[in-house]
Formats: sequence, C-alpha cells, structure tokens
Amino acid sequence: MTDVVKTTPAPAPGATTPPMPATPPPPASTTPEGSVALTIDGMAVTVKKGTNVLEAARTLGIDISAFCYHPGLPIVAQCRQCLVAVEKNPKLQPSCQQACGEGMVVHTTDAQSTLARKQQLEFTLLNHPIDCPICDKAGECTLQRLYFEHENSRVDVPKVHKAKVVDLGPTVVLDQERCILCSRCIRTCDEVAGEHQLDFAHRGDHEVLTTPPGAQLDNPYSVNTVDVCPVGALTQKDFRFTMRAWELEATPSVCNGCATGCNIEVHHKHGRAWRLVPRHNPDVNKYWMCDEGRLTYHALREHRLVGATVDSLPAGWDRAIRAAADRLAGVLTGGAPTVGVVLSAEYSNEDNFALAKLAKLWGVSNVYAAGKPDVAGRADGRLRVADVNPNRAGVAVIAEALGLAIKPVAQLSADVRCLVLLGTELPGVDDAKLRELDVIALSTHERGPVATAKIALPVAAWAEAAGTVTNNKDHVQRMHAAFVAPGQALAGWEAVVRLAQATSAKLGYTHAREVFKDMTQTVPAWKALTWAREARPLALRFAGSRG
Amino acid sequence: MAAPSTPSGTPDAGGRSLKQLVLGRKDVQDLSDTEQELPPDLMTVNMGPSHPAMHGTVRIVLTVDGERVVAGDVQPGYLHRCFEKESEYATFTQVFPYTDRLNYVSPMINNCGWAMAVEKLMGLTGSIPKRAEYVRVIVSEMSRMTDHLTCIGASAMELGAFAVFLFFLKAREWMYELLEKVSGARLTHSYVRIGGVSKDLPDNFHAELTLCLDQTVKVIAEGEGLLNNNKIFRDRMAGIGAMTKADAIATGCVGPIARAAGLDYDVRKDYPYSVYPELEFDVPVGTTGDCYDRYLVRVEELKQCIRILRQCLAQIPDGPVMIADHRVALPPKHDTYNTIESMIRHFKHIMDGVKVPAGEAYAFVEGGNGELGFYVVADGTGRPYKAYVRSPSFVHLSTAAQLIHGHLIADVVPIFGMINMIGGECDK
Repeated sequence: MTDVVKTTPAPAPGATTPPMPATPPPPASTTPEGSVALTIDGMAVTVKKGTNVLEAARTLGIDISAFCYHPGLPIVAQCRQCLVAVEKNPKLQPSCQQACGEGMVVHTTDAQSTLARKQQLEFTLLNHPIDCPICDKAGECTLQRLYFEHENSRVDVPKVHKAKVVDLGPTVVLDQERCILCSRCIRTCDEVAGEHQLDFAHRGDHEVLTTPPGAQLDNPYSVNTVDVCPVGALTQKDFRFTMRAWELEATPSVCNGCATGCNIEVHHKHGRAWRLVPRHNPDVNKYWMCDEGRLTYHALREHRLVGATVDSLPAGWDRAIRAAADRLAGVLTGGAPTVGVVLSAEYSNEDNFALAKLAKLWGVSNVYAAGKPDVAGRADGRLRVADVNPNRAGVAVIAEALGLAIKPVAQLSADVRCLVLLGTELPGVDDAKLRELDVIALSTHERGPVATAKIALPVAAWAEAAGTVTNNKDHVQRMHAAFVAPGQALAGWEAVVRLAQATSAKLGYTHAREVFKDMTQTVPAWKALTWAREARPLALRFAGSRG
Repeated sequence: MAAPSTPSGTPDAGGRSLKQLVLGRKDVQDLSDTEQELPPDLMTVNMGPSHPAMHGTVRIVLTVDGERVVAGDVQPGYLHRCFEKESEYATFTQVFPYTDRLNYVSPMINNCGWAMAVEKLMGLTGSIPKRAEYVRVIVSEMSRMTDHLTCIGASAMELGAFAVFLFFLKAREWMYELLEKVSGARLTHSYVRIGGVSKDLPDNFHAELTLCLDQTVKVIAEGEGLLNNNKIFRDRMAGIGAMTKADAIATGCVGPIARAAGLDYDVRKDYPYSVYPELEFDVPVGTTGDCYDRYLVRVEELKQCIRILRQCLAQIPDGPVMIADHRVALPPKHDTYNTIESMIRHFKHIMDGVKVPAGEAYAFVEGGNGELGFYVVADGTGRPYKAYVRSPSFVHLSTAAQLIHGHLIADVVPIFGMINMIGGECDK
C-alpha cells in the first residue's frame, strides 16, 4: 500500500511519444530480457535478474524463515535459517544469498532443507532465555513466528548467561542473552547512519553484541536497530515497558518532524500514540526514519490547546468565533490593509489551503508564511534535513496557485493590526510588536503567540486529522487520523470554515476530502492526485507477528 | 369537630361520589347492569419479560379474549449477548466460556459442539484420544441430565408440585457438584478444549458418579410417582400445546419436542459422533406431541442418560485426555516454565490463538433441547472469521405463539415450560 504520488510535470503540448522499437516481441516461451524464470516448490516464477531466491519465494507466498536477511540491508547469510535445496547442487543454499538462475529448481519443503532449518532453529533457541512474558518484543518476534517449526529441544544443557541490561547509548538498551547474533543492527548502523558503532566480540557461545570500548550507540538513526532486531535483544528506551505490542493499533501516516516526510505507522491505543515506526516507501525513506522523528509523538500530548479562548480565558467555540468575527467586521474591506493572514509550514495542505482561500475571499493582501526556523547542521545527506517543517513546499505551491504573494512573516507590514495566525511559530517578529496586535490564532499548541492571543481556536494535530503534506521532493503524502483530537479541537480546515461562515465568506467544506478536491482542482501540479480511502486502524494482534 | 365529610354515596358538584373521585371508577354496586358485564373487546396483557414462569427473560404480549389466548407476540432478545459477534474477537479457545453461556443448564454439550466444529475445520476429527471422547460423552450426558431435571422440576413447580422441584434440583445439585470437581466451576465449566479436555477426571470419580446415579434413579422414581398419574398434573399437561409430527418438521423442531411429536430424530443416533456408536441406548418417541408426552420423553431420556453413563464408566479406557499435536495442545506447565520452545508456544496459543486453516465447517451435537450446531468460518488466523450457532431454543420459541393459540392464559405456563426456552441460547 502506498499513497504517495510523485507529481511529475505534464508533458509539454505537442510532445510525441517515441515510436515503438522495431524488434518483434520475444516469443512467450522465453524469459523476457533482464528476467530469469525458475521453479520453487513446483511453482514457476519469473523475477528480475539478480533477485535472490528468498524474495522470489515470497512473491509466491512462500515465507522462508530468516533472521539475518533484511531487504534493506547487505546480505551476509550468517543465520543459516533460510537454507533451501537447489537441484544439481550438493549442498543446501542460503536462499537470501542465492541469486535466482535461469531454469533453477528450488525446494523449500523437502525433508533435507526442512530438517536443516528445524535444527538451525534448535541451535538458535538453545541459549535463548525464557523471557516472553517480560520481553518487549513478544508478539512481534521472529522467533515466536517460527514456533510451529519444531518441538522441544533435544539438547538439555544449562543456558549460557550473559548481561541482561547493557546500556548501549542514549536510545537503546541491549539484552545480550536474547541476541541471536544476526548482525542486522550492525549493518543498519553501517548502512543507514554510515557509522560503525556496533560489533561482535568473543567467540562461540560467548559471542556477544557490543559497542567498541569507549564508544556508544548514539547515531541519529540508532533506533532503526530496534526495528530490525528479530528478537527482543535491542529495545528502545522510549518505548520499553510501556505497552505490549499486540495491544496496539497501527494507522499509516507521515512523520511531521521535518521536510523529508518519512512514511510511518502511528502505533496507538487509548487515544494516544505510543510509538512511531517507519513504513516502507522506496521513494522517500526506504525502511528507516531518524530517532528525532520517532519522538515527535510526545509533542502531541504536551502544551496542547484544548479549548477555545478569548482574552486567554476559556470560551466555547461559538463565543470565540463570534468574538473573532466581531473583531474582523469592518476591517475586511478594501484590501483589508490592517489584517494579516499567516499560513504555516507546520500544518497540512488542507489546513493551509482553506486558510489561504479564506484570505483570498476576504481580499487580504498581507499573507505571510511561517514555520519553524531551519536547524543548522541537521542536514546529513541521508534522511535528516535542515528544514524541520513538514509542509513548506506545500504552502508555497498553494499560495502560488491561488495567486497570493506570500512574504516571510518577519516582513510583517506595519499597518497590520489584526493577525489571523495558523500555528505557533512567528520567527522574526518581536514580542513587543506582537503584543500590540490582535492575534486570532488557530493552533494545536498553546505557546508563544498563541498563549497571549486575543482569540485562540484549538486545532487537531497531524495524527488526529486526515490530510496531506508535501515534502521537500514534492511528494504529496497522505496522513490518516489515528485517534481523536483532545478537548474541543477541530481539524484546522474546519476551524477555518467556521471562521469563514462567521464573516459571511463563502467557504463550506464539510470533509477534508472536499478541501483536497478543491485544492487539486486549483493547483495545476496536483491535478492527478486522488484521495485515498480512509485507513482503518489495524489491530496488531490481528496482524500476527510483525517480526 | 370538623364538619362531616361528604358520604360516599353523595354526589359532588360534578355528579361523582368521593369514592369515584378517589378510585377513578365506580364501585361495583354502583354499576348499571350493562356496565357489570365483562367488556367484549380483546385485551392485551403483558407476560414477562420479568415473570417467574418466563424462564430467562422473554416477553409475550398476549391478546386475550377473556381467559383465552387469541394471539401471542413472542419477543425474545432481552438476554442478547452478541455470542456470534463476540466470537470474532476471541481466539478459538476463548470462545468456550461464551458457549457455556448459551444453554447454561447444559454447558458441557455446548463446549463439545464448539470443539467439534473447530476440530472438523482442523481435520482433527477422529484423532482425539479415546479417553477424551469418553470424558466428553460422560460430561455431556451429565449435562443432559441437569437440563432435563431442571426442565421437569421447574415445570412441575409452576403447576404447584413444589416437592418435585426440590427433589429434582437436589439431584441436579449432585451432578453440579461432580461437574465442579471435574472442571472447577459449578455452572460455567469451560472444560472442553480443542483436541480434548482441559484435565482428566478427578480421583474417585467412578465411585462418586455411580453413587450419584444410584441416588438419582430413586429421585426420578419418586418424581414419576408424584407426577405421572397426578390428576392435576395430567389435566394441565395432557392435550395442551400439542404439535403434529408434520408441524415439528415444518418448523424445524428438534430434540424432546420433535420426539414427543413422533419424530424419531436424535443426532446421537442419526449422525453418530464421538463414541456414541459404541454405546447402547434407546431414543424415546412420543405419539401425541402434547406437553405430557414431552414430559414423558424427557423422563425416559433421563433414564437413558443413566444407562449411557454406566456404560461409559465401564468402558472408558486409560490414556491421555489431550491430543499430542503441539499445534493444538498447550504445552505442560513444567515445560512452559523451563524451555523456551514451550514458552513461545504457550505465548502464541494464548495471545494469537490456535491457528486454524482457512475454511468453513458445521458440526452439530444433540443438546439438551435438540440439535445444537456450530458453523465456523476461519481465515487462517487464531480467531474465527465468523461463528454461527444453530440453537434449538430459538427455533422452538418460534413455535410458541402457534402452540399457545386457543389455550387459556394458565396453559401458557406449562407450554412455555415444556418448550424449555433457555434465554442464553435463544438470544445467543
């Protein structure tokens, strides 16, 4: 499932498609160029050249068990759990390392390879502690997923004990007993963060995962090692002992931590998020996300604006909207020189489009764009970028399409007496000036200018409302509502609609889908985008083990 | 002294007496001759939902012409527990406690029915250990006895024979005590498991059941002596609520009701399951299909249950009571605590449930009230995709309106008692 749409410019008028190549199509019996055909368990399959047998089997629905193989990491074939029999080959082959060959005949269910995998699992479990009831990975553990494979071990020796709590760094804790030495985490550090911070030490059944002396696991992508860990050896400090995995529900969304827009799943329960985990998207974030992004869910519960306020005192929506309309009455004429509207790169396309459209209907000429200032030194050429706003690109595109000339909010006109503000960030505007203005704020959080605003309207945050954001590569990506917004908060566009109706502006959206539809008809580059069906939260206990 | 109040007969300004003002109606002696006649209109009377004779909670809106029932609108649903929907959210094993609460007077039979449906889906039918099958039959037949004892006892009580109720419930209590020793719970046993039963019979079970049966034989004889030729009992039962064999078939009636009407249908004989083919018993069949025949059929079934139980005690083999297949059986506790493989298995069985291959199956058993069927659809996970129960009470209750038609209001009680609707099963 992917609801990412890459916006490509429409072909220039008059451009012709290149003519079809003159060579006739190859006869059906031969394999197409760049592909190989093979047989796995009697089923024929054609895959791209270079695909390994394990992936080819997965396309047929045959799930060969594996610990060390991960599609996003280099292949090392060291767990030996994916052994299969390849005809004309005297020895069993690790299917993760074995590239598919033309005419290859593979057996995964024959006696020899089944026995090999079963015995391999017996070895793997030999020193594994009996921790399931207290293990954070229980319920999403690859070892557990293979429980049908074999019965009790035939080997009856005392288990080798190792360190149970090894503090690897600021984010991750290691239990060396549970580790099955698959090296996924080592390769993740190498590949994703580009830093070799983990390695194995010692030999045989004394081999352990560890950091080199004096070093610690502190790269900005360190928690990805927890995701790839097939067992409960690596656990995230932020999540461990908070929630059992199978109690959670998953809703697909997009990280709002920066302009990269990593695809994520929000794991939530009881109306709050408990963790964010990356969701595979080959165009954006592959299998990964940064540690900072993972912690952004905490902000969903901190300093939230949960009720409408007038003069910093609680007021209902109706009274707050009426007060806002009263303030705006009379000044919304003739270009409304004393009114300013601030769009926010922190909010979704829908929220910004609704507000930008309202500014246009009001005839306001002072339209500004705000957002968090760039963080110097954050960009690393991987996933992290300096721009920590999820939607700066979207705001620019929307304003352009509506013909609004947006200025940075630092260039706030001296004429402006009343500011309709989306969000909490007003970089470059000094507090003294701000206190002279009547601020009508639509915001998720109650801080900065919102705390002192004349009127504040509570707005649903990114995990609480359906919407889209546009990342720095112009991918318009969809976020689904995971849980309901706290208190009286409404979706941003809905708050805008209420404000519009109180000022008699003709804006009547009733669903985020309608805002999106209007937006795609307005923005030429987004014409082809479609609104994906609402995703229902998937209860992880029904999904079985994720491992 | 206050002035004397208006005497009752003295009319006030509006021409009404004080009594009339207070009572809102005239005194009988003040009614004119025409007013004293009973109103000729039909009257609507509520029977239930909270009425001692409306077992469970069911409401019948009776339309009566004097004492005679012209129409009855039977309204079940007051005990609805969403059995079928709840099952979709429970693992296959977690459904057992829900089945306990279907026909809660014979929960063991429900347990067996559910287990058989899941086992059929998993292809385990026939590979359940012999001892487990015998244990299932023993607890099922004991449950059938508690069911019939309750039904007869309660119906007799409602017709005034309170002693029979006490005698029969005494016998039922012996059964319950024994089942409690077997399962750990007096009423909601949750004893059967997919692949067998949760634990073996307790020590000394044979002797205790034998003693219990010997005593119950005497109780049944006592009850029969008090009821069979009791004039009141016969007058209230014979010829009341009769159903023809054709009607029984047309309405889908099963169990004692259909057999009383002359339909020789018993799942244990006609679609034998478990170890019933190895046991000798007769199926009593009635002739008139009235309440008295239903009573007689149930009494005879009690005796047949005792016969089956005595054979089971003689024939039950030694051995395991749970299938050895580790895909189905929970590992022994000692292994769970001491080996990682068993720990994982235990964890997966409890959290994810026993994995049942995708497919659908219908399995049915002879419940206390007749054919009790479970239809299960699995999608390959540890939880049912859909569960449906064919509960006999629901079908039987649908005939109630037809059976009470034309009878007196008082006859509704024995008819309803002999239908033996169990709310938990009827409302599912």
